[in-house]
Amino acid sequence: MKAAVLREQNKPMEIEDVEISKPGPREVLVRPVAMGVCHSDLHFLNGSYPYMLPTILGHESAGIVEAVGRDVTYVKKGDHVITCLSAFCGHCDKCLTGHMSLCSSPEVSRKAEEEPRISQGGQPVHQFLNLSSFAELMLIHEHALVKIREDMPMDRAALIGCSTTTGVGAVFHTAGVEPGTKVAVIGCGGVGLAAINGAAIAGAGQIIAVDMVDSKLELAKIMGATHTINAGKVDAVGEVIELTQGGCDYTFEAIGLKATAEQAFKMLGRGGVATVIGMIPIGTNIELHGVELLAEKKIQGSNMGSNRFRVDMPRFVDFYLNGKLHLDEVISKRIKLSDINDAMEALKTGQDARHVIMMD
Amino acid sequence: MAEIEVPSEVTGTVWKIEVAVGDTVKAEDTIMILESMKMEIPVEAPAAGKITKILVSEKDGVEEDQVVAIIES
Repeated sequence: MKAAVLREQNKPMEIEDVEISKPGPREVLVRPVAMGVCHSDLHFLNGSYPYMLPTILGHESAGIVEAVGRDVTYVKKGDHVITCLSAFCGHCDKCLTGHMSLCSSPEVSRKAEEEPRISQGGQPVHQFLNLSSFAELMLIHEHALVKIREDMPMDRAALIGCSTTTGVGAVFHTAGVEPGTKVAVIGCGGVGLAAINGAAIAGAGQIIAVDMVDSKLELAKIMGATHTINAGKVDAVGEVIELTQGGCDYTFEAIGLKATAEQAFKMLGRGGVATVIGMIPIGTNIELHGVELLAEKKIQGSNMGSNRFRVDMPRFVDFYLNGKLHLDEVISKRIKLSDINDAMEALKTGQDARHVIMMD
Repeated sequence: MAEIEVPSEVTGTVWKIEVAVGDTVKAEDTIMILESMKMEIPVEAPAAGKITKILVSEKDGVEEDQVVAIIES
């Protein structure tokens, strides 16, 4: 099969022929139809997060089941599915207490001594986050996918596989935003826009979108932002404090920078909660003014929206189909797999919301 | 000759050790692969030299900044 192989950080990916193994007892072969190009892929491409190479990036995808392993009963050939990197084992303490996105069990991967899921000329190609979507086929654990309604368009379903779940989930699950509260979201890429949309669905009273690109702030309004701030033109923290008359109940950082994570904390009112969704590079520490903790301000991380994706993703599909979740506007361009490097370059500029690869 | 410590950058589990004591490595060669939040994260040699100690075994848990191997450079 063809796949976009990354051999060296900061170098273009090449479309190459690679071999994919047959499904093991609990594995599913999926033919992806649409794959989002996510900023997290860029973090691994540019090395701010290390990963074993060669690899095939891509982790936000929707497709059709091609074949299933001997013990798989959840899906069958032809089912429409969304894949998710939060593959869960189903029996660790995190899974059994409903925190499946925190499952760290390695059993959803193949063991080091087993034949790799993806290889080339007998050498392993490291599967990215148990998925590796930028390919004609994906061989994944059955706990890395969810079945969805067949009337859901695949390109928009793909977004639910990561950015929607991460942003909306951070609002619903990690932070637990309550109706009527004051919310600010820093960063209006795919995840930030999803967080804004999630805050609107949750019934937040005031939703302030912060970005440095005016076109993204316009998108934020469609998602439900009540106010927008261009942080390149004004002091975002001061503006938020003024607009909210004392600070937010909830803030969300959806970029992954020290400065913006610290701003998210500074934008809080008394008792507020800052949720950092963005991937801050390994080795970077963030600083807080300790006295602020006396006002019971809190800061927390959110990974993949604290999801229970087998439950959440079909609900998000329903939200889209009944008009509450705005995904049409998020897709800025539909491209081919061979255009993947251009999409990565576009991510670096931060101008577009989301490129989605459509397979023929 | 200097002893150089090889630290893990993240908390995780040792998935696969790629070198043995006595092996010669180049800077940035993969010493071992950690699994952390289901990501395969390499621990790379900070400098060229000979592996003199491997301080962990496969399936061991490691903490951030824990020294996992020693290189003689």
